[in-house]
Amino acid sequence: MDFSRKKLAAILLAAGMVARVSPVVAQETENLPDATSPSTLIDLNRGVTFEISPHTGMMGGSGIFGLRLSMNYSSINFELAGEQVIGNTANLYPISVNVLLNLATRSRLIPYGAVGAGLLLAVPTNTIGDETVSSLGINFGGGARYYLTSTFGFRVEVKQYITNVASKRDLKSELLIFQEVSVGATFMLH
Amino acid sequence: MKECKRLMVVMLFAVLLLQSSSAQAQLRYESSLTFAAGAYAASGFGTNHYLGARYNYFFLGGKYFVEASLGISSLRSRVLESVSKLQLFESQRLYSYEFVVAYDANPAGYLPYLDVGVAGINQGGQTSFAGVVGLGKRIPLTGFLGSNQFGVRYDIRDQIFSQKFNNTDSFISHNIAFTVGFQLYF
Repeated sequence: MDFSRKKLAAILLAAGMVARVSPVVAQETENLPDATSPSTLIDLNRGVTFEISPHTGMMGGSGIFGLRLSMNYSSINFELAGEQVIGNTANLYPISVNVLLNLATRSRLIPYGAVGAGLLLAVPTNTIGDETVSSLGINFGGGARYYLTSTFGFRVEVKQYITNVASKRDLKSELLIFQEVSVGATFMLH
Repeated sequence: MKECKRLMVVMLFAVLLLQSSSAQAQLRYESSLTFAAGAYAASGFGTNHYLGARYNYFFLGGKYFVEASLGISSLRSRVLESVSKLQLFESQRLYSYEFVVAYDANPAGYLPYLDVGVAGINQGGQTSFAGVVGLGKRIPLTGFLGSNQFGVRYDIRDQIFSQKFNNTDSFISHNIAFTVGFQLYF
């Protein structure tokens, strides 16, 4: 009798330990990447996914901050991007709609090429009398996203912006080209 | 007396274990939101109050995190007000937004985390791009409101940027922010 009580107690203790450990392990492994098959970590062929990507970088010697909102569907990614380029006498705000071609769809590392168009707003900060200048522009470039988990990764991008600005003084227009390099994080919403 | 000492040692170990387990429990959360308050010393102006909100995303076992934050402060300087009527900016409003990456070598231990990043600092309408370095510490509030989702943290940040007033030569400014915040993990 005493032996079976001890046995029962030992079984209950073991069961309790197993029950306690398994949810902890489940919690700890829930968000970890599947090391055995990295291709299943990110699969853009499964359906539509959305991404939010804050970033920073440089454009022509000035610092930038920006946010990109995008929608992935397999190889194609539609994106709305807004940035602030901090200049000495004016801030530039490029707002653009871009299309990205993902060069991989089942990988942690997704390189891509991008092309887009939008509006560039130059807002003077410390000069009196100057007005906001807006111009239409196009951009193209490429980059890569590397995912650490199924919801989080880093993103690097290099782009070229081209715009045409008309001068009111002599009625001439000038072609302006800016290079941009940016790094940031990306959050994928499933 | 000996019993009392033994009891104190046991209690100390229990508290340390409890704090460690709570910190380990917080490592499982992916994100946190912090509401912070403190002091902001704007270079050449003065020290004023600072209010901010921070969003953190933790990865690689909670040892690394990225953060986006927004803070507001003021450029008010009683010294400048009393000695001069000169106003360098359109207003005294100051706000900053930061993106940093941090490394927390031992989240459950006593060492602080180190962070580095960039910031946009808007001083009275003029925006500057700044580099940011800092350190801080997350301290779990074990069992607060029956949960391990809460904590407090402190942060010291140095925002380094080039500044220029009117026709003067540009110079490097260091704006220092010290904050204490209440952190919610989710």
